[in-house]
Amino acid sequence: MHFVNQSHNYDHPWSHVVIGMWHKYPNPKCTHVVSIDVLDRSVDPKTGIIRTERVLGCKQKAPKWIVKLFGSSEDAYVREISFIDPRTQNATITSENLSLSQFATCLEQIRYSPSSTPGRTIFSQTAEIQARMALWRSAADGLEKWMAQRFEQNAQLGKMAFTDVLRRLWEERERVQAVVA
Amino acid sequence: MAESLLSECTPLKKEYDSCFNAWFEGYLEPAVSASSSPQKYSEYSQRKAEEFQQKCGKIWEGYRACVQKALKEKGLDTMLQQSREENPLSRPPPLPPSGSSSS
Repeated sequence: MHFVNQSHNYDHPWSHVVIGMWHKYPNPKCTHVVSIDVLDRSVDPKTGIIRTERVLGCKQKAPKWIVKLFGSSEDAYVREISFIDPRTQNATITSENLSLSQFATCLEQIRYSPSSTPGRTIFSQTAEIQARMALWRSAADGLEKWMAQRFEQNAQLGKMAFTDVLRRLWEERERVQAVVA
Repeated sequence: MAESLLSECTPLKKEYDSCFNAWFEGYLEPAVSASSSPQKYSEYSQRKAEEFQQKCGKIWEGYRACVQKALKEKGLDTMLQQSREENPLSRPPPLPPSGSSSS
């Protein structure tokens, strides 16, 4: 089992970050994400919570031994479920790999919530990576390690990319507003 | 916006995403403001949920049908079903104990 845990801040208010969530892809830093589709979406009329289920298609090159042993391809799919709760100002995103899931799971949980500093949003992220079956131990460990490495690399790219996306999205709108005002 | 699983679904996806984004941006900040009054919030949620259905319901039908087809063509429907059975995630995950929201 590999466990990853990190948190940092975005210098944007919570609502801007949550609106920006839907604009994260495509971006030039995360070219491995090639498709996103909404599978299901609901707005709860009582709680106002928006639940969205999506599938992301990624292209990732796996080491040859993983391809040989697990028969994986370059196409990797991820199932993502998010909940946005305006009442508590919490947005949570849970993602799990669909590809290679019979061998190992990478379960990621992200949470966006307002910081105590105004205009700032806390981002916290955990991931649990675990080989599923009683695999030959070194294969299981190797697979987990590779998934953890990919996860950390992609998390880094994602953070840089989303920072850029938010800046461009909201600076552009401020510029437009300044012209109109 | 990124592409769809199947390129033929991409125009439908883009239309749906635009519809949702436009509705969502109008929804979020007033929802946060309304949350201070349970009555107001309840009325607002109900009204906005109906509005979303009215505005984007038709586009959603077309897009969703295309995605279902794409999932079958890509052989993802079984994996997806298994994942849904194992982790339905029909409710938000529990929040960590409060006091961890300051940084």
